[in-house]
Amino acid sequence: MKAYRSIFRLRLRMETQYRGAVLGGIVCQIFFGLILVALYRALYAGKPQAMPLSHITTYVWLQQAFFRMLLASDADLMDKIRTGGIAYDLCRPLHPYGFYYARIMAQKLMGSLLRAVPMLLFAFWLPTGWGLSLPASPAALLLSLAAWFLGLGCVCAMENITMAFTMRTLDPRGIQAMLNLLMMILSGNVLPLTLYPDRWQKVITFLPYAQMLDAPIRLYTGVSMPSQACQVLLLQAAWTALLIFLGCVLWQRNQRRLIIQGG
Amino acid sequence: MEEKSFIEVHHLSKSFQVRKKREKGHWRGEKKTIRALKDVSFSIDQGELVGYIGPNGAGKSTTVKILSGILTPDAGDVRIDGQTPWKDRKEHVKRIGVVFGQRMQLWWDVPILDSYSLLRDIYRLNDADYTKRLHELTEALGLGSLLRTPLRQLSLGQRMRAELCGSLLHRPRILFLDEPTIGLDAVSKLALRDFLKWENETHHTTILLTTHDMEDMAALCSRVMVLGRGQKLYDGSLSALLREHDRTRSVEIRYDTPDCMPSLPPSVRMHREGDTLHLTYATCDFSTSDLLSMLQKAGAIREMTVQPQSIDYLIADMYREMGL
Repeated sequence: MKAYRSIFRLRLRMETQYRGAVLGGIVCQIFFGLILVALYRALYAGKPQAMPLSHITTYVWLQQAFFRMLLASDADLMDKIRTGGIAYDLCRPLHPYGFYYARIMAQKLMGSLLRAVPMLLFAFWLPTGWGLSLPASPAALLLSLAAWFLGLGCVCAMENITMAFTMRTLDPRGIQAMLNLLMMILSGNVLPLTLYPDRWQKVITFLPYAQMLDAPIRLYTGVSMPSQACQVLLLQAAWTALLIFLGCVLWQRNQRRLIIQGG
Repeated sequence: MEEKSFIEVHHLSKSFQVRKKREKGHWRGEKKTIRALKDVSFSIDQGELVGYIGPNGAGKSTTVKILSGILTPDAGDVRIDGQTPWKDRKEHVKRIGVVFGQRMQLWWDVPILDSYSLLRDIYRLNDADYTKRLHELTEALGLGSLLRTPLRQLSLGQRMRAELCGSLLHRPRILFLDEPTIGLDAVSKLALRDFLKWENETHHTTILLTTHDMEDMAALCSRVMVLGRGQKLYDGSLSALLREHDRTRSVEIRYDTPDCMPSLPPSVRMHREGDTLHLTYATCDFSTSDLLSMLQKAGAIREMTVQPQSIDYLIADMYREMGL
């Protein structure tokens, strides 16, 4: 375990080094957040929806703040696979799946927290109807935090599956473009999942993408009541476990049919 | 049954499926099988320093990757210190160190000491042992002042030394080196050679060195294996291999009168550069004294040197003869 913790820590520290990227990310995500909020305000002015506006703006800000958790992958890792640098990682006395899982988690955790904290402060400061609302209740806050961690576990498991596929195709761009599109739509990044028709929501919220950020946001805003939390967390945990299992199997199979690029 | 060696490789084969370029009108390219290794066998004793040479694409790196447990062969058996690399992977890799000359194991953006601490945790080294070994290695590799520098700020030579240190922290019993001197300047190269010799002698680390640098080979390895098109073509001492292929000499000669032109058999290659004549001849054609008398007939010789072919030419000749 110590080794995996060590990788996690080192990757955390590495992430803190790219301060310019953090600043750029914050500016960009605030810009997107403001535009989306303005858009929904215009929409609500014309035709109010069932979901209160403050829910939607909160949803948008939380999505934007944790953008990096969902939609950024470790360029170093991709490069390693593409150029064959992965050879080193495969001759360590560790399970490569765990090795990469720890790395991915550190990157997603630190990368998103560094951006999320200042962004959420900014969103709190915005006037009501524009910004981030307080959580529905203290219980809602705690439960959404728990759900957020499970969501992180789920994203990392998903990312590691992408890695496993990248090892086969050797170029991440094709599969990444496809998966990112799915991610943006089905995780609620483009349009809050709470705005989809009810019947659609039943299906979409069951999919793994909804477990990552939509589930914690619902708990935060009180769309999912604390009494339903058990169900929500269980579904998240089940998906995380399943995706980790799938990823492990894929990595195992990859190792057997591996080709290392270049010399 | 022969006596068991430290590293035993029996009838190793490995092939890869590669997709050929797709032809016009075909949706998918055909698959082509590349046989990287065909029935390769050898054994290496503990503490040996063996060179592994062959042209690009001969299968050298594939062998190293199989021996280090990264790739699984199609057929054949490998026993290293009693273990099969791809079956007992975790146990096996604790005892080996690998350096891939064209890749990096250390982290680009953090001080190299942090990368070493990570390796310490990965190999579960105890602190005292780690500190001692790190001190020993940084001393031998001249890394002391660089430990707090991020890898990205090091020169290629420094980086290679740092990588080597990283591969040896856990005191591996075997070290696989895949083109470690690629792109290094003369000073770094010499330092690296000295270090490898030192590591081999003081710790009896078994070393398998893959390289295209024949000078490295000559300086380090008494035994050499030649691989070509996936097959082992030679296994023995480097000097015997060179002697066998060392059949030509090159001569530089200057006469007192610059336009002197000796008459020599057509088998001798000759060209003129300023007032110097360059000749290349095969030692089986005539003896040195025969050549000398032929050269002296043309005029008074001011200056003359005779040299064996450079080792690179020898190897190139050898590859050509082996049909590679």
